[in-house]
Amino acid sequence: MSLSPAARDYLLAFADDEHMVGARHTSWIGLGPFLEEDLAFCSIAQDELGHAIGLYELLLDDAGVDRSQLDAFALQRSADEYRSCWLAELECSEWSDSLVRHWLYDRAEHMRWGALEACGDPAVAALARRAQREEAFHLAHAEQFMSRIAASDQATHIVSSIKRLVPIAHGLFDAVHTEPELLTEAFVTTSSDDLATTWVATITDDLRRWGLDVDLDGNLADDGSQSDSQQHRCVRSAGFTQLQADLLKVITLDPVAIW
Amino acid sequence: MNTYEVFLKKPGRDEFRHAGTLDAADDEMAVLYARETHNRRAEGSEMWLVDRRHVLVADPESLAVNDDKSHRHNDGSLVASRRKEDREAGQ
Repeated sequence: MSLSPAARDYLLAFADDEHMVGARHTSWIGLGPFLEEDLAFCSIAQDELGHAIGLYELLLDDAGVDRSQLDAFALQRSADEYRSCWLAELECSEWSDSLVRHWLYDRAEHMRWGALEACGDPAVAALARRAQREEAFHLAHAEQFMSRIAASDQATHIVSSIKRLVPIAHGLFDAVHTEPELLTEAFVTTSSDDLATTWVATITDDLRRWGLDVDLDGNLADDGSQSDSQQHRCVRSAGFTQLQADLLKVITLDPVAIW
Repeated sequence: MNTYEVFLKKPGRDEFRHAGTLDAADDEMAVLYARETHNRRAEGSEMWLVDRRHVLVADPESLAVNDDKSHRHNDGSLVASRRKEDREAGQ
């Protein structure tokens, strides 16, 4: 079953989000707050990279490109060919920022895969079902870690991270131009706007359950300008150039090596 | 942080075996972490976790074997050697 150009745009945006957030999460390998958390967080990072590979493979297969070209496709496009959102690209050098991003991102990711589970393309639907099994663990991890920190004397750290990241996170729901076509074709069952509404209700409920007092309405006031800046994911964030350079560090040492 | 002992069991008749230890803030997080620290590659199909504080530890002194209990360790060699001597003597 071949993908429409609209479907390719949609899947590319999701794949690039998974790739970038997975790559950012891996920066904690060996640096996590304690060994068990280091292993759990880096496992989540690998899962996200696995989702990106699955989506990239769908795109390569559809285009008739051999899967051996996956690394080049994932890493060596020009910046304007990526469709990742700014939350996924963001460098989070503080643990509290990374933890909060993980929670915000996985809340959204679970919903995004859910909108693809009934996709008319069986390969996409199968990948969505596979990813959802892993997302159950990611959400349990986010819930358990966030709820413990919220009840501790470190709660102020994550509150400031939430205030900083929620406006950026809203860019997760900045839809690619072609999304309306996909809703008509029932390639995807829920619009990004509707996902965003559910996402806000869910994270609001999380915060209430954890006893964290964060004015989300005030923090979401900036989201319009944030989404405008991304311009339907066609514009990269300020840190993207350095991020891509870091991702290419090893592959450029020997471009013809087979890894 | 609490320390937990992790036990895994493979499918079939194998018994639960000690797989290692981990540290976690509480029981719920210990179960979450154990999946990643000890069963990422599906090393077992069942898992037990035990809070180390709940493990009953025997006094090592009570486990030491006394020097004067050789009578408990008869392997039959004395009897076998006497019977061999008797056979060879034609008795």
